[in-house]
Parts: sequence; C-alpha cells; structure tokens
Amino acid sequence: MDTLLRRLRHELFASKVDGLITLVLLGLIGAGGAGFLRWALGQAQWAVVRANSTLFALGRYPIEQQWRLWLLTALLAVATGITWGMLRSHPRPDRVGVLWPRNDRIAAVLLALLALGLPLALGLSGAVQLRWWGITALLLLWRWLAGRFGPGLPPLLKRLLPLGLPLLYLLGMVLIHGGLGLSPVSSSEWGGLMLTLLEASFAILLCFPLGVLLALGRRSELPLLRWGSVLYIEFIRGAPLITLLFLGQNMLGFLLPGGMAPERVWRAAWVLTLFAAAYLAEAVRSGLAAVPRGQLEAARSLGMSLPQAFASVVLPQALRVALPSMVGQFISLLQDTTLLSLIGLMELLGTARTVMANPAFLGRNAEVYFTLAVLFWCCCAALGLGSRALERRLDPAALARSG
Amino acid sequence: MSPTSSRSPAPTTGSGDLMIEARGVEKWYPNGFHALRGCDLTVQRGEVVVIMGPSGSGKSTFIRTFNALEDFQKGSITVDGIALTNDLRQIDAIRREVGMVFQQFNLFPHLTVLDNLCLAPVLVRKRPKAEVKEQAMALLRRVGIAEQASKFPGQLSGGQQQRVAIARALCMEPRILLFDEPTSALDPEMVREVLDVMLSLAAEHITMVVVTHEVKFARQVASRVVLMAEGEVVEVADPETFFTNPSQERSRRFLDQIL
Ligand SMILES: Nc1ncnc2c1ncn2[C@@H]1O[C@H](COP(=O)(O)OP(=O)(O)O)[C@@H](O)[C@H]1O
Ligand SMILES: [Mg+2]
Repeated sequence: MDTLLRRLRHELFASKVDGLITLVLLGLIGAGGAGFLRWALGQAQWAVVRANSTLFALGRYPIEQQWRLWLLTALLAVATGITWGMLRSHPRPDRVGVLWPRNDRIAAVLLALLALGLPLALGLSGAVQLRWWGITALLLLWRWLAGRFGPGLPPLLKRLLPLGLPLLYLLGMVLIHGGLGLSPVSSSEWGGLMLTLLEASFAILLCFPLGVLLALGRRSELPLLRWGSVLYIEFIRGAPLITLLFLGQNMLGFLLPGGMAPERVWRAAWVLTLFAAAYLAEAVRSGLAAVPRGQLEAARSLGMSLPQAFASVVLPQALRVALPSMVGQFISLLQDTTLLSLIGLMELLGTARTVMANPAFLGRNAEVYFTLAVLFWCCCAALGLGSRALERRLDPAALARSG
Repeated sequence: MSPTSSRSPAPTTGSGDLMIEARGVEKWYPNGFHALRGCDLTVQRGEVVVIMGPSGSGKSTFIRTFNALEDFQKGSITVDGIALTNDLRQIDAIRREVGMVFQQFNLFPHLTVLDNLCLAPVLVRKRPKAEVKEQAMALLRRVGIAEQASKFPGQLSGGQQQRVAIARALCMEPRILLFDEPTSALDPEMVREVLDVMLSLAAEHITMVVVTHEVKFARQVASRVVLMAEGEVVEVADPETFFTNPSQERSRRFLDQIL
C-alpha cells in the first residue's frame, strides 16, 4: 500500500506543473463523473430498458420459440468457454504452477459479478435470472475444463477444434431460422442484439476467406485476376457503405436469377460481407508484404507447390502480422451494422428507434442510446481481448518462453 | 578426400553421371539487365563445384536457374536428365531433387526446428510423419543440434540456423545440393561449424554446387572452381591451378583482391 502511494505520487505529482495538471484533470473527471452519476442514478428512468429488454435482445422473436435462442446462448457460452480456456490457459500446466495469467482470473471474476448483478439491476424475472446465472456458470466451467485438460488433448483434436465454430454457426442458423423439424421463424421477426450479432458474425466469417482470396488475387501473376481484384477492392473502398446497402437492396434482385434473391436480412448480410472483404484484403495484403521473399523461395526450393507454400509457410506468417488490423476491421464491421437500421432492419439501433418512437417512452433517448453504447462496447471489447489472446498464442517467441 | 579434377568441363557423355548441364544460358531481368551472358557449366555426380567471383557477377542468379527460382531466356539447362522448361510439373520434379541452402537461412520462423525439417517431406513426398520425424532427428544429431529440435528458429544462433537449413534440405534426400554463400551472413566464429558440416557432406560424395568466398574450403574439397565475372563464366579449373596459376587475367585480378 505504501509503495502504491509512493508510486502514485511519483507519477502524478512529479513536479509542480505535473501536479497542477493532475489536479485539474482530477477535477474535470470528478465533475464529469458526478454529473453522470447524478443522471444515471437520479434523473434517468431505466424503465424503458427494463420494459424492453427482450425487444433489445431478440426483436419480435415469437415467445413460444425463445427456448431455441436460450439453447443457442448456452451453446455459445460453452464455445466461448472452450475458446477462452484453450487460448489463455498455460500451454503446459504441468511445467508452471499458475494455470491462468492474473488478469485472466480477474476477467473471469468480473464476468461472474456482472452476470450476477446485471439481471438483478434490470429486474428480470426469477426464472430468466436463473438462466443467465446457469449460462455464465456453464461458460466458466468450460473455460476451466478447457484450460485444465485442453493442453493434454491429442494434437489432431486440437487442430480440428476450431472447425467446431463454423459448425456451431450452422447449427445456430437452424435454431434461429427453423427447419429440421423446428417451426420456421421468418427473418422479418428477427431483431435486436441477436440480429446485430447475426449480421456481424455472418459477415466476419465469410469476409475472411474472401478477403484472403482477394489479397492473393491482387498479388497474382495472372493479369485478369490481378486487375479484377484491384478493381473490386478500389471500387468498394471508394463507396460509402450506406450507398452499397441501398444498392444491394435494390440490385441483388436483378443480378441474381429469379427467386434466388435472398431475403432483406441476407441481402444486407451479403453486402456487409462483400464490403468488409475489400478492407480485409488490404489488411491481409500488408501481412503478405511483411513476409520476406526468401520464405516462398525456400518453400518452393523444397518442392512445395505454390498452394502448399502459401498454405503452410506464407499465409500463417502473413495472417499473424495482419491479425490486429483484421480485428480492427471486424470491430468496425460490428459497429457498421447500425447502418442497417437505415434500410429498415430491426437490429439494435432499429429496435432502439422503434422504442423511442413509442409515446410511452417519450424523451428517454439518453437511456436508450447509453444502453446501446454499453452493449456495443462490450461486444467490441470481447473481440479485442480475444484477438490479443490469439496473437499471443500465435507468437512463436511467446510460445517458446512458456514451452 | 583427394578431389578428382578435370581442367575443362567434361563433355556430355550421356552416361547418367551428368547431374547438371547448362549450355549458353542467358538471362535478362525484367528491368532489362543482362545478368547471364552465355554461361556453360557441367557438374558430374559426386562433384563439388565451387563458384567464386565478385559481388554482382551473377553467381546467385546462375545457381538459382538450376532449380528454376530464376527463369532464363536463352540456352538450355538439364538437371539429372530432366530439361528445365516452363512445364510446371517438370519444375516441381526437379525442385524435389535439388536442395538449396540460402545466405539468409530462410528457415520458417513459425515452425519448430523439427517441423521445419518435416514439413516438405510429409507434404511433398507424402511420407508418413513418424518416419520423417525419425529421419529428421537423425539429421539434427548429425549436424549437432538435436537438443534444439523443439525450439523455434528465432532462438538459435546464426550458425545453428544455417545447420538446421542444411538438415532441412537433406531431409528431402536431394540428389544435388546448391549453396548460395552459406557462411556470408554469419559471425566469423560460426563459419567453422557450418563449413564442417559441408565438409562432411563432401566426404560422402554428395553432388554440391557452392557459391562461396571461403578459399580454404574450396582448396580442401572442390573438384573444380568456377570464376564468374560480369555475367560470364571466365574460368573453370581445378583448385590447385586456379589458386596458384590461373589462366585468365580476370581470375588473377580477382585472386589479388581476396587473397
Ligand atoms: N531482381 C533483379 N532485377 C534486376 N537486376 C537484378 C535482380 N537481381 C539481381 N540483379 C542484378 O543482377 C546482377 C547479378 O546479381 P547476383 O546474381 O545476385 O550477383 P552475385 O550473387 O554474384 O552477387 C547484379 O548486378 C544485380 O544487381
Ligand atoms: Mg549472391
């Protein structure tokens, strides 16, 4: 405690000017914080969020089918727990006494507290509250299991594990959409956070392979492929997303043969995908440029074909370099989904606008926007944390230190 | 280890002992630079051919045409009986049989030392992983770095990395090994350990073409020494003749500079 005080003093009050700046900033932060607290605890009427929490979460998804989404959430919690455990636990728990880095244990505790407190604060019904607690417990349990036993799994299984994510995605689509014996729920009834995450994850999953192909195409020696890729990337990057979204709503119907034009939700998802792919291609391109020529030459001189050399030698290195900027793209993609409200989709912002248009909640804009901001912040923070963990896991130097 | 030397390139005999035959190779880089101006070279099975010459004389360009890392516009190159054409399958077939060791090592930094060795044999030769692993460990023992098998290249010294690179090339069981200045990027105290490995390869009569400035190495093991200058093969001679009594004025000037 003593050293902490001394360090604070050393860093914040090193000189008179420093001390003055510190005091002024502290004053500003204090005033701002106090103002915010007065608003959040006094003036703000959170009933608008409490009353519409289901709407914000799911849109107008039929109540009797909501169990499917609970199931999906539970599955996602398991997947998140496993991913977390595999990425963040120590690769060789037998060698080091500590299974988790300290900030990771803190994150787990924070998550547990949040899951405990938030449903209470929102005044959710007892049954719903119990479900959230159960789901959180599931996540933390699988995090622990994956961290404890994951490193000991056979390498082949570990290699195959990431394939579970696309499979889970398909399963999630069936659960949301219906089919395979489940009654269909029309996409016009999807909404809220669910729709936001659905659109974003669809685009993130698909723009990744597309972006890699575009980046490779841009470096290809076949002129047609190269010019096609360049033209595509530059066209997309030169147009604002909103115009492309409107264009997509109107044009996809003409471009695709009769009956093939997807529903609005999917049309928008495809436009997002094609849009993000162009930006991702640029991120991958910078990653490719960072891999020395000698790497490809060494691979080729060992007799590897061009696809083999790229798959095993060049791309793994390029993607690791490009990872931070790719995740940056994913984060802005997630935020860009708010534009979908302008073409009439009921994602988070669209839902928020209908809520605010309801005379019962007139003038409650600040509460609603604040909630939205917090939701987006949470999603983006999760993406950022995940990417940093992945980066560390892919860094051979860091692996070597711990192995 | 007495090198059998022939003063001039052996004539084409078609006996099957001819590993590399380059005739009148000319290369222009895309920017129009004329890098090779009619180069001839033959390499017999079991020979160690050392290529010397000033920087920029086209040594790298020349040996990189042997495994098609560089293309050429005129002349012909035959490697182990296969003519180098633009046929991609032929090129892949040749690259499988021709190993290359680079000045900058070019190890794969994202793979462990052991995986660096195993990758190509498993991927290209479709050999079972367990068997390749065993062979790779034997090779690592041979070049003296078996204890480092599970480390990453970035954790090794330059000399160790280059020895891994040699082992990686050997793991493909090539019929010819090309070396492009394998010791030029090394700190002086590490040159020896790499040269020792190369000497042991020469003692086993592995066919090698080595671009190097190491005179001692050339005197010790070269079957023939080739001098290149300005994109041309100036002189081909046995090492004794080359270093003591070269026939070309250009060779004499070069030797004056390096000796
Ligand atoms: N990609 C290239 N484009 C144009 N010129 C090149 C290229 N690579 C090498 N050169 C030129 O070709 C000549 C021979 O190069 P190189 O074979 O690397 O010489 P060495 O290995 O003997 O030092 C040099 O003058 C060099 O500048
Ligand atoms: Mg060179």
